[in-house]
Amino acid sequence: MSSLIGVVNYGIAGNIHSIKKAIEKAGGLVKVINTTSDFEKVDSIVIPGVGSFSDAMKELHKAGFVEILKSTNKPMLGICLGMQVLSSIGFEYGKTKGLGLIDAEVKSIQCDASVPHMGFSSIDVVNTNKLLDGLEDEKFYFMHSYEVINYTDIASLSEYAGHKFVSSINRGNIYGVQFHPEKSREAGIKLFANFINCSILGNKHG
Amino acid sequence: MQTRIIVKLDVKPPYVVKPVHFEGLRKMGTPSEMAKKYYNQGADEVFYIDIVASLYRRKILIEEIEKTANELYIPFAVGGGVKSIEDFSQLFHMGADKVVINTFAVQSNPSIISKAAEIFGSQAVVVNIEAKKIANKWECYTDCGRIQSGKDVLEWAIEIEKRGAGEILLQSVDTDGRQKGFDIDLAKEVVDSVNIPVVVSSGAGSLEDIKDLIEKVKPSGVAIASLLHYDKITIIDIKKYLTENKIEVSN
Repeated sequence: MSSLIGVVNYGIAGNIHSIKKAIEKAGGLVKVINTTSDFEKVDSIVIPGVGSFSDAMKELHKAGFVEILKSTNKPMLGICLGMQVLSSIGFEYGKTKGLGLIDAEVKSIQCDASVPHMGFSSIDVVNTNKLLDGLEDEKFYFMHSYEVINYTDIASLSEYAGHKFVSSINRGNIYGVQFHPEKSREAGIKLFANFINCSILGNKHG
Repeated sequence: MQTRIIVKLDVKPPYVVKPVHFEGLRKMGTPSEMAKKYYNQGADEVFYIDIVASLYRRKILIEEIEKTANELYIPFAVGGGVKSIEDFSQLFHMGADKVVINTFAVQSNPSIISKAAEIFGSQAVVVNIEAKKIANKWECYTDCGRIQSGKDVLEWAIEIEKRGAGEILLQSVDTDGRQKGFDIDLAKEVVDSVNIPVVVSSGAGSLEDIKDLIEKVKPSGVAIASLLHYDKITIIDIKKYLTENKIEVSN
């Protein structure tokens, strides 16, 4: 009955350890996805991300994961850079094509305060969804220098030093969060529990 | 803007120690126990600094780091003795979210900062500055405040930002562990010189010291060590006091 969450492993710069630990704490079973055939075994997919947009896409291509991620019907959650690569284009270390699952661009944060934006911030849910269920009043940990520019799939907005940005997106069963749920205390564990529910539902339908 | 309240664990494996002027160590507990305690009190982040790894030229102890990381669902920065991209990589795999570097970058090869930032992202690269006041300027020290480098702190801060560091941990050799207040002038100069977040450490002796620092300097974060280790003041007390004084912190 329980569903298996696949955490995509690509390149050397992974924060897989802490994501795996947090999903397990939320009651989920994790399989680290190392090869293309691993995708078949899992019910949903988490794309972590530490590093730069161009490097991340390069590594995803090298691993042969790009086409699978573009065509899968399984519920998907992108975290931080993992959310950014869902976009069509990124502008970190040059212009790079993303997965294109969300019509968005990724650009550096333009504001008066220090960048990277680091710290806990609240989220303003503008379009509620299963992932954010019960988390409307919580704060999450952000650690980023780039932001997703999108107008069509915004789930929540957040604010840093007066600058509003997209803190989470949702389109069908594709979810992306700019913050790090694995670094956001109990609120983050609850978000993973919500994603586990999404994957069970996704599994039933699929 | 919120100020991050960060706990700094100065570790001489297997214990967290309390250094005074980076010397005179006292054992306080194990890193994993103490990290968990501060996590439960509401710390926003934990910085784990192996204060002897660099000095004794040995590699940071991996198991203790993994054990500490396992207790935390908040950001965890680790440093001490880091000198290669492999060291960065290994620490991330052990559960570190950020890696802190000082001695190797200052003494041997500052380009490791840019290389690490390109691979792991700026947000994961923290440069630790150990500053000591010499005449009217501050100079960078290494090896836990023991070795003079000849580098000017402000010039170095600007250089490391250019090289792609995502954050500065600013420590003062003069005020560290004395619990008599921060070096406000130093903190202000560094915060005003760079656009990346600065975490100010060294000197918190009271709630007023922390408030004073935040009001005068507005750093991105404050790192506290000694003040917390005797359990006279908790993170809960600090956040409550700051909130009462109209300083924004996460609760």
